[in-house]
Amino acid sequence: MINSVRNTVLSILNKNNYGYISPSDFNLFSKQAQMDLFNEYFYQYNRQINKENARSSGTGYADITKGIEEVIDMFSVTSYMHYGASNKFLLPSATTTGDDYYLINKALVYEKFRTSGANTSVSGTPNELVDSTATFTATVAIGDIVVNTTTYTSAEVISIVSDNVLSLDADIFTATPQDYSIFLSVQNEAEKVNHSKITMLNSTSFTAPSEIFPVYTEEGILMSLFPKTIIEPGRVVAQYIRYPKEPKWTYILLPNGEPAFDSTRSDYQDFELTLDDEVSLVTRILQYAGMSIREIQIVQFAQAEEQQANQTEA
Amino acid sequence: MAYISQYQYYENGGALPENENWGSYQYVTLKDIVNNFMVMYAGNHSLINNEERYKVLFHAKRGIQELNYDAFKEIKALELNVSDLLRFVLPPDYVNWVRVSLYSGGVLRPLTENIQATSSDAYLQDNNYRILFDINGNVLKPQFSFLDTDRIAGTKKSIYMGGGAYNGKSGYNIDGDWYFDYSIGARFGLNTETANVNPTFTIDKKSGVINFSSSMAGELCVLEYVSDGMENGDESSISVNKMFEEFIYAYIRYSILNSKLGVQEYVVNRAKKDKSALLRNAKIRISNIHPGRLLMNMRGQNKIIK
Repeated sequence: MINSVRNTVLSILNKNNYGYISPSDFNLFSKQAQMDLFNEYFYQYNRQINKENARSSGTGYADITKGIEEVIDMFSVTSYMHYGASNKFLLPSATTTGDDYYLINKALVYEKFRTSGANTSVSGTPNELVDSTATFTATVAIGDIVVNTTTYTSAEVISIVSDNVLSLDADIFTATPQDYSIFLSVQNEAEKVNHSKITMLNSTSFTAPSEIFPVYTEEGILMSLFPKTIIEPGRVVAQYIRYPKEPKWTYILLPNGEPAFDSTRSDYQDFELTLDDEVSLVTRILQYAGMSIREIQIVQFAQAEEQQANQTEA
Repeated sequence: MAYISQYQYYENGGALPENENWGSYQYVTLKDIVNNFMVMYAGNHSLINNEERYKVLFHAKRGIQELNYDAFKEIKALELNVSDLLRFVLPPDYVNWVRVSLYSGGVLRPLTENIQATSSDAYLQDNNYRILFDINGNVLKPQFSFLDTDRIAGTKKSIYMGGGAYNGKSGYNIDGDWYFDYSIGARFGLNTETANVNPTFTIDKKSGVINFSSSMAGELCVLEYVSDGMENGDESSISVNKMFEEFIYAYIRYSILNSKLGVQEYVVNRAKKDKSALLRNAKIRISNIHPGRLLMNMRGQNKIIK
């Protein structure tokens, strides 16, 4: 989609020789435009919910909420939260989970911790966890979840082969030593609470967080889980909405110095929004480009286009 | 809670304790109640929106407590030997008592609550009856008051009968058997309120003990009591009989709407009526009035009362 957007933008910009934007400018404006539209989806979603509550929205093909949810869900990621220290876990980021997060939709906590350790060898049989120091027969049950806390991948226990060997449904131990934690498969949702509430919650017997009803607070790059007994790496999983990846129109330079689109480059990144956002992307980029080349007519044209689109959607 | 297999139900899947799941189907757990409520009654298109789960949890627990106080017929019983200090420490989940009994000779004998003071605090005093204090200004207290000392020693006089119904009465001993002119119950002017030979008790709520009269020393006491259903804070054990499940949802809904800003009064009233009606329904259901039981009661109608 990115090449098509660029071609349209250039086509409009170049009309009457208004101007031209370089690939690097285009990439900057694209990032900005995509982020604008991405943010707007959440506000649209809220407006649409309000419409539904006011009974002015339909079902079936008229179910606009569903369409918005689908777009937002494209950015949904479920991932183990990397362990920090004590009851603190690292929030999703490019260095831990690979993505920066827009919002944490839910955090899940395994209800019961079984055991932990490190594998001592890699089995010749695939999908096995081998730990010569473990006593799996006494501590683990079939159906439990094993989390490799070095790679933050997980698998389910299929059978307990012996005290030292577990058979899993996925090959998550391919090197040694890799740390692991094992949990009962039951997960409970942790509720996010304010810093202004957490102290009082913790100090009342009625609402004190428990492993059945855990809560968390956020501070900087960390999430703190309560009760404070939630301290095992791999115990917290979060479903979050990540930011869209930065779009990048990549190219090769032709002998005449003209850039030609090249999607085979390793840093190539298309827009992540849906096809029906193409028009919105073009108008947004045009606004930025118009400002850039100081051509007010371009900005006004793009704004008018956007306004018209908004009126249609309303 | 997920449905379990029959093997899981009867034998806990081979694990201990074997009786873990017996009767569990009658109940719905706190976790299920809160989750069901959050899924079914809270959300974008519901009356209740943007409410924290901990509030739902709070109201769910409060509802369960209320049910435990009067609607549930779930009486707990604890048997303990009474020490020489004539004390029975209340169980940790005690909220109110139903009955206190002495178990002796294979017979459970319900005890009477003593209406007199049987235990008290005391302050140390000097010869001039002035209260004594320590260096921190706190009043000095003896271990036991004289009232307690006498009760423990068995020298405290009581308005209740003790030592047997015929103790101290005149009679005739013929060939080792005692005969009396009249029985106690027939005596004119007997205060029936205190006409009980069993030991008596008083509950000292603040101290968390039941104090007994002296004849209870070393005896087995059975305390029947009600709890608040909070299972000593173990949330995995908190549950509600399914007869009350809908009431609990209605209770939570009402409690939240009642304390929420901007909710119309008619909505709050509707929730209130809903809650009350469901409580009545549930109480009727749990009372188990069915033809078989009524028949047994009505069979006694032809019995001639002499």
